[in-house]
Amino acid sequence: MVPELGNFALIIALAFALIQAFSPVASRVRVTLNYPAVLGQFVFLSFAMLCLIASFLQNDMSVVYVQEHSHRLLPFMYRVGAAWGGHEGSLLLWCLILCGWTLALLIFSGKELAVMTISRIISLLGFISTGFISFLFFTSDPFRRIFPLTPAAGEDLTPVLQDPGLIFHPPMLYLGYVGFAIAFAFAICALIEGKLDKNWAQTLRPWVIMPWSFLSMGIVLGSWWAYRELGWGGWWFWDPVENASLLPWLSATALLHALIVSEKRNAFKGWTLLLAIVTFTLSLLGTFLVRSGVLVSVHTFASDPTRGVFLLAYLALVIGGAFVCYGVRIKHFYHPPAFELFSRETLLLINSVILLTAVATISLGTLYPIVLDALDLEKISVGAPYFNLVFLPVILPLLLLMGIAPHVNWHNQSFKALWKKLRGVFLLCVSGGIALPLLAGFEFKWLASLGLAFALWIMLATGQYAYQLWQQRKSVSWQNAAMIVAHLGIAVLALGITLNKAYSEERQVKISPHETVILAGYQFTLEKIAETRGPNFKSETATFRVQKNQGTPHYLTAQQRIYDSHEQSLSKPGIIANVWRDLYLALGAPLDNGAWSVRIYYKPFVRWIWSGGFMLLIGGFLSLMNSLSLRRKA
Amino acid sequence: MKIRFLLPLLLFMVVIGILGRGLRLHPNVIPSPLINHPAPAFALPSMLHTGETTTDKNFLGHVTLVNVWATWCYACAQEHPFLLEISTAPQRDFMLYGLNYKDDPAKARDWLKQHGNPYQQIAIDETGDTAINWGVYGSPETFVLDKKGIIRYKQTGPITQEVWAQTLKPLIEKLRNEA
Repeated sequence: MVPELGNFALIIALAFALIQAFSPVASRVRVTLNYPAVLGQFVFLSFAMLCLIASFLQNDMSVVYVQEHSHRLLPFMYRVGAAWGGHEGSLLLWCLILCGWTLALLIFSGKELAVMTISRIISLLGFISTGFISFLFFTSDPFRRIFPLTPAAGEDLTPVLQDPGLIFHPPMLYLGYVGFAIAFAFAICALIEGKLDKNWAQTLRPWVIMPWSFLSMGIVLGSWWAYRELGWGGWWFWDPVENASLLPWLSATALLHALIVSEKRNAFKGWTLLLAIVTFTLSLLGTFLVRSGVLVSVHTFASDPTRGVFLLAYLALVIGGAFVCYGVRIKHFYHPPAFELFSRETLLLINSVILLTAVATISLGTLYPIVLDALDLEKISVGAPYFNLVFLPVILPLLLLMGIAPHVNWHNQSFKALWKKLRGVFLLCVSGGIALPLLAGFEFKWLASLGLAFALWIMLATGQYAYQLWQQRKSVSWQNAAMIVAHLGIAVLALGITLNKAYSEERQVKISPHETVILAGYQFTLEKIAETRGPNFKSETATFRVQKNQGTPHYLTAQQRIYDSHEQSLSKPGIIANVWRDLYLALGAPLDNGAWSVRIYYKPFVRWIWSGGFMLLIGGFLSLMNSLSLRRKA
Repeated sequence: MKIRFLLPLLLFMVVIGILGRGLRLHPNVIPSPLINHPAPAFALPSMLHTGETTTDKNFLGHVTLVNVWATWCYACAQEHPFLLEISTAPQRDFMLYGLNYKDDPAKARDWLKQHGNPYQQIAIDETGDTAINWGVYGSPETFVLDKKGIIRYKQTGPITQEVWAQTLKPLIEKLRNEA
């Protein structure tokens, strides 16, 4: 009964989405259908989601989707998360979140734009929603039943998904991906109306900031999850689907900065519109790559080809239409540049160009295997070495700019004055980059010094900017605080990435009980290894004592799990973390006489990577406060 | 309208074209680098004739299918009835060998007794070392070898009616007619 109700709710939601899409027609006869359509759709999509979760909680194995992604013994929390642990459920979540964003937009910004403008935006979002709910309903129905009923325990959720990360990572990521639909709708509406003013940019800004913050957090959570769960000790693998989440992030970052120029300087309108379209394009492309099975990745679910065809047709229609619109209408947005060559505008333009270059290089690496395969040339895979090689030179100039840009005036800046202001910082970070690792007792590595120099550059230059602000005004605006925190976050991230890369150590060893292995000055002693039982797996659980010299011993447990319903085993690493380093140990395979092969990693500064990402979220939050304070003034 | 305003559209269309073509491809099918190379040498205990050894020399003189299987492998059990069917067909013109992969031999013998044995010979690869040499990365996998013991094709995943009729059967016929 519950699945049928859910299915029925989907049909009603689809009807509401159609009403939403055609609501401007109704507004011509002075009836506003925006709000009831969006609200109705939200209520029924939420209800469908609850039905799906209820089916999981009841272990209703007659529902194909439940049967494929759950198990009677699966812990409660993961049964909730499993509702979006597969294709159909995650698509339902996609639709629900899109509708949630639309509703929020109506409630909080509905009054800030002209009635016709907001009506058009809501209608465009309605078309996007109609497409996705149809896709869900016609190709990926999560409520499909199996007949005849076979008593089954369920195939269980893939072991790597059985982690608290499952509860938060997909919703966060989708809040980001899907949220960019609003910027897209704003852009198309502006193109149609031929008008982009300060109010438009100001109204849109929080609706880019929020998804961007969620996406940042989603990526960070995904990275942390992979680190804890996959047992390879890595935090980023340049996997196609990871790239698919990074691409919209990069372009949304460019959009954020272009929007500032649109709002404050009435310039870059063409850029802003293009970036808004590109960002949502990349979000949809990401969805396509994950859902169609066109690429090989840990994230791609088993898929059937009709889904890929549907999504591709949808992509071609929505985005193709958007680009046609762009091509035809963009001439109305062209102004001759009203700023000098060296000015903050120019730097923000370069920022956009660099970020789009990064998008292009990563897209190239991600899609290259498909291109070759499509042309029948050969099958290859593009891995981390390519991405590491091409990403670094693209991103370094950006880090350099981040230090400079806040100090540069709008419109025009004298280079001499800037150099006078920043030369102290420049010298400090070059010498600091070289000296600090040596002072801290690390050996010299050029990558570490480079990363440190750039990170110091951003930190010190941003710090100097903050100090000046404080000197002048004795207060820091929300907007400046947001910029300062987010830029410092990038510095912390860059520091974490480079120091981790430069100074990580690892060993793969054979170890017997009571033997000791030393890595980076830490002694790892295998205390005991025994078979234990989890809720839905059995595992070999090893306890290690970890000690540096004669210091306080720490204990870590690592497991080699075999899930009841999968023959596949999962190595669950043990981690001892602090601010400066992680000690990470993963069990390999059992060898003779009770010995095991283990991989031990010393990972310095790895927490900084995620902390930097978290600072981006805080920056986003501060920027949101700025938007709110502007509203209050208005 | 200036043409450069349509550049994003053109670029996008190229990407869509490639992705559309990509949809009809099978990225999971990785051609084995061993195709057209002699089967990697091995000498493993035989499951059916205790005390004897099965080696790569056993492949010479006839078309051979080498099927990698294990009792713990769910897809192998699904494939099993079909293997029995092709193996017991009246005009069988190939040999079906099994490579028992990372399994308990006693358990595997019992399993065959219970479900029927489609194989003419079975090599026991308890450690999985031979499978590594053969580039096995999952089971079931089936290699098709010609009369000279050269690997000509690799099927990843179970042999289904469709795979058999469209790919394997015609290939076996072709190989049988080779010198």
